Amino acid sequence: MGWLSGMTIAMILFAIGTTALIVRKDLVVKLLALGLVNSSGILFLISIRFRPQMEAPILPVKTGLPIADPLPQALVLSAIVINFAILALSLVFVMLLVERYHSTDCGRIEHAVETEKATLGSQNLADDTLESEVQAADR
Amino acid sequence: MILPLLPLSHVFLGLMAIAWKASARATLIAALFVDIGLVTVAFSPAAHWLSSAVAGGWTDAIGIRLALDSLALDLLLLTVLLELAVVIYLWRQRLRPTFVILLQFLVGGVMALVLTQDLFNIYVILELLTLVSFLLVAYDRRTFQIWASLKYLILASVGMSVFLLGVAIVYANVGRLGFAAIERTVVGDPQAGWIPLAAALLVAGVSVKAGILTFSLWLPDAHSAAPAAISAFLSGLVIKMGVVVLIRLAGVFPLGSVLQILGAITGIGGAIYAMSSKDLKRMLAFHTLSQIGYLLIGMGAANEAAAKGVLAYALAHGSFKALLFLAAGVAYDVVGSTEITELIRARHRIPLRTRAALLLGTLAIIGLPPFDGYIAKAPLLAAAHGWGNQIILLLLGIGTAASFAKLLPLFKGPYRRVGNDPAWKSYVVLALPIALFLPIERALFGAAFILPVMDWIIAVESVAVVTTGLLVHRIYRRFTVRPSERLFRLEPGMFAILLGFVAIYLLLKLG
Repeated sequence: MGWLSGMTIAMILFAIGTTALIVRKDLVVKLLALGLVNSSGILFLISIRFRPQMEAPILPVKTGLPIADPLPQALVLSAIVINFAILALSLVFVMLLVERYHSTDCGRIEHAVETEKATLGSQNLADDTLESEVQAADR
Repeated sequence: MILPLLPLSHVFLGLMAIAWKASARATLIAALFVDIGLVTVAFSPAAHWLSSAVAGGWTDAIGIRLALDSLALDLLLLTVLLELAVVIYLWRQRLRPTFVILLQFLVGGVMALVLTQDLFNIYVILELLTLVSFLLVAYDRRTFQIWASLKYLILASVGMSVFLLGVAIVYANVGRLGFAAIERTVVGDPQAGWIPLAAALLVAGVSVKAGILTFSLWLPDAHSAAPAAISAFLSGLVIKMGVVVLIRLAGVFPLGSVLQILGAITGIGGAIYAMSSKDLKRMLAFHTLSQIGYLLIGMGAANEAAAKGVLAYALAHGSFKALLFLAAGVAYDVVGSTEITELIRARHRIPLRTRAALLLGTLAIIGLPPFDGYIAKAPLLAAAHGWGNQIILLLLGIGTAASFAKLLPLFKGPYRRVGNDPAWKSYVVLALPIALFLPIERALFGAAFILPVMDWIIAVESVAVVTTGLLVHRIYRRFTVRPSERLFRLEPGMFAILLGFVAIYLLLKLG
């Protein structure tokens, strides 16, 4: 099982996450997949300088083993916070969309948004009397 | 230690606006004064002692180095210019405190990004900019804004995860995250196996934020859905932050022809979609893509004059694109639509100053001689050697002129005074650098750099390109086939990021 390291698990998670982001239509599932992709980045960054039989870089040092590099572990703290913010905010936005369309289906929402935008434009065309105004101005 | 003050002052002022809501407007003015003051100091001859510092007194191995190089100076100037114009533009409106806070964080984030020399710091700031612009695009909570913004967040977040993987690989092999240390390691062993993979991950990740096809398929929706002032900021400034990171990466990794290929795809693709676009704001958003193409071609040319040309063009593009977006916002307020045919039909109701601003922006972006579009483009045209670069730059110019030809009927008569344009002062702020770009460019890049501007061959070429563009427009508008807009949905955008990464990796590995 020598291949089973944090890095390979991170790559597998990344692949699952991106596939789900493309294939699955449900927005909530898409956000879960986004969380998976982001977490895989974090796992990758932590495990890149970590080998088995290393001690966690927390004082006081207990064993005589070599200590894992503390810098990536400090860096991922900011990455974790950022990913939390992204997931929380995008969930709020999904909630707003669900309230309006009563659906979490990505294709349906996309279609509804596009038709709404198109009808918005033609409404302006219909109830505006611009054409006659221009003609009057030209006369 | 003046450098950290530039971004941090915005954070403090933003927090002040949170704590004391009545002061929100005042913090905008305070931020402007602080920025103008600090940037004046940065441009003064005394600035050499603050040119580089590690924040917080850490050692170089783990600290974050901030540096005030020519790239940073150029973009700080653009930041202050756009900040001034946007604050004047927003002044007449009712501003909610949260909006002001987000705006402060956006400007602060931009300043932090141009100063930083640390790879992980870049990741954090890019994510901050994503979050803030995500909230600002959808600030009016209209459905299409929410959807455009959510799409942006999902795609940008995936892109940044890819970037983080690249950061991790760099850290594993270099042991440091500063650009100087990375460059030393790469120069020491340019054939190392990790370099193509790390470079491909970093470039693919940041391309999602930089408005590069086919990574940034979120851009047309997000930039056209946002409120006018935010569109001006995003298109003029925030999109350049990805380009800044690409310039820094190109200085460290041997990227070869990747940037030229990306530039060609971005520029030509953006121009074709802009020619087909019927909506003014959407067309401007597509032109952000096509103008990023110019910047990438200049970076790919990889010589010093072209690198300066990229900076000059970034500055020029920021000024006229912001002008166009702000004027389009006023036109939308008057007419109630941004459809180009609709605007043309109702042109007599649009204030004359708005139309004048749109005309000035159009003349600048298509690159006609006295304006900054031409003045910044000429050195780039002269420095981009090779027939491939020259052909792509010509096609880009023709495409730009052909798509803006659609706007020309907007400037026909009748010219009558109708209403007043409340935003005309911000047009003046932006029109000054557009009209008087030559001395600015000379001061920033030296007298030798502006020689191509006086070259009559390049001037004639630019006019010829614009004329060809007008002809192309007359032919193209008869065509009924238009490229599909379905490309700009969420799943194709997601797929394109992965595909683009694989393509860049193969290019770097094999070429």
